[in-house]
Amino acid sequence: MEFYLPIAEMSINPIGFLILGIIVGTLSGTFGVGGGFLMTPLLIFLGIPPAIAVASEANHIVGSSLSGTIGHLRRKAVDIRMGNVLLAGGILGSFLGIYIFNSLKQVGLVDLLITASYFLFLTAIGLFMLYESLDSLGYFGHKKRSRYYHHSWIMGLPLKIRFRRSGLYISLIPPYIIGFIVGIFSSIMGVGGGFIIIPAMIYILRMPTNVVVGTSLYQIIFITSFVTILHASTNQSVDIILALILLLGGAIGAQIGVRLSGKLNGAWLRIALSILVLVVGLIMASELIIKPDNVIKIISGSNL
Amino acid sequence: MFKKLLIPIFSIFILMGQMPPNIIIDENERDIRIKPNIAGTEVVLYGAMPSGKKDIIIEVVGPARNISLEEKRRIYGFWLGLGRADYFQVPSYYNIMSSKKLSEIADQSVFDKLRLGVINLPLGNAKISNSNTSQNIFNKNLKKYMLDKGQFKIGENEISVKSGPGKVGIFSTEFLLPSNSYQGKYFVRYFIFQNGEFISYAENKIDLKQAGFSRVISLTATNFPLLYGILAVILSGSLGWLISTIFRRLKIS
Repeated sequence: MEFYLPIAEMSINPIGFLILGIIVGTLSGTFGVGGGFLMTPLLIFLGIPPAIAVASEANHIVGSSLSGTIGHLRRKAVDIRMGNVLLAGGILGSFLGIYIFNSLKQVGLVDLLITASYFLFLTAIGLFMLYESLDSLGYFGHKKRSRYYHHSWIMGLPLKIRFRRSGLYISLIPPYIIGFIVGIFSSIMGVGGGFIIIPAMIYILRMPTNVVVGTSLYQIIFITSFVTILHASTNQSVDIILALILLLGGAIGAQIGVRLSGKLNGAWLRIALSILVLVVGLIMASELIIKPDNVIKIISGSNL
Repeated sequence: MFKKLLIPIFSIFILMGQMPPNIIIDENERDIRIKPNIAGTEVVLYGAMPSGKKDIIIEVVGPARNISLEEKRRIYGFWLGLGRADYFQVPSYYNIMSSKKLSEIADQSVFDKLRLGVINLPLGNAKISNSNTSQNIFNKNLKKYMLDKGQFKIGENEISVKSGPGKVGIFSTEFLLPSNSYQGKYFVRYFIFQNGEFISYAENKIDLKQAGFSRVISLTATNFPLLYGILAVILSGSLGWLISTIFRRLKIS
């Protein structure tokens, strides 16, 4: 059985992509990350043109984050006010991201932008996770809680409002800026940005951990919706069929992952994931350095 | 499962027992009106030809489309897609079918003279920017790509020739116009060969009135980009919501 992807203009085996969705979905359910930062590189390795992989992955995340948010809303684990502030910054950021993306697409450098962003982010996240999980296993020999240091200048900024669900009374400016930065990368990399925003919420905004994932997912729905619409209307690179196949697989995987996460040893799992993330980052970088099989390739057809 | 579409290429041919002078097909243009289908459209071509030791080749050329190619070059150690070739007149579909292996029917020089085959297929002028590579090289890569993706096809031995009454041979072949097929005119050319030499020719057209399912999606993406983006979000969101509902129900029951 073969499926034809109308925008990527290629035939794929839908079962293979469904399984890919399940695997990445399981990982994201287990670790509580969105999975976009693994899915987009994998799609590129499978031959989907990078620009299409990014835009379609954003479309996929709309559905998967909505699915996830519903669960968190029922548990009242979403700080909607905080989500809206992040979102307001995110929308502005995604405009800038799309602008950068399309300008570089014009001059043929968009693949470099995508690959380089992934390499840098995956390496940084992979090393951070590796360090943190080894640390929690006691490898570095210091039980420090000093990570939760206090940014006095951040707390001193004006425009303070109350975020009741998070129990915070802080300035609008830091979450707005965080949202803005995540919005830029969301549109360039086709990710929800959970892997940037969650650490930022914990370490910079000092939000309680029980509302972090729900709030992040909540704002991701809107950011990725917005990014999807921007990609579709400026460079026609959203492959709806690809997004829906991945969503179907991802949803099944997420359910498996949530059940698995309770049963496995967290630290060792995180070590495994961090190694996976580092490997994906390295392969991504090698695409830029190793001579491609085909120096000449197709970039666009109908969607010129 | 999907509709088989018969195109009577020839209406009724004379079965008088005498050898027809050459190939008989219906010279009229045929319209195909079908609903978009996931698999595509199956097309059947048939007609009459003189029987005996004769071979037939049928070539189908679809409507023109745009395609862009990118050429990677190494700069500061990085392979970057800097060169570019934009095509505007590439056939969106090409299929060459034959009753035997092409090499057994005639020499390549004969096909070249008839401008027959993938090698001789014109792709139109490309606008090459930021590259010193000749269009020939881009053409070669594009043809290889189209063959790999099944947009261009070589169907050797795919035409069957049965002997009809008298000295008439009836040829028939069927092929699938994929679901990404472009709307418009498909030119069909018929070539009869005998002992390695070209002896007669005919042509007609198929007019595909409705684009295939995948093509409809990509047309919507190109012509109504904002609407397409909003639809993509709504579809993804609804599927996400549906999935979460299903799993919640499953947990309760």
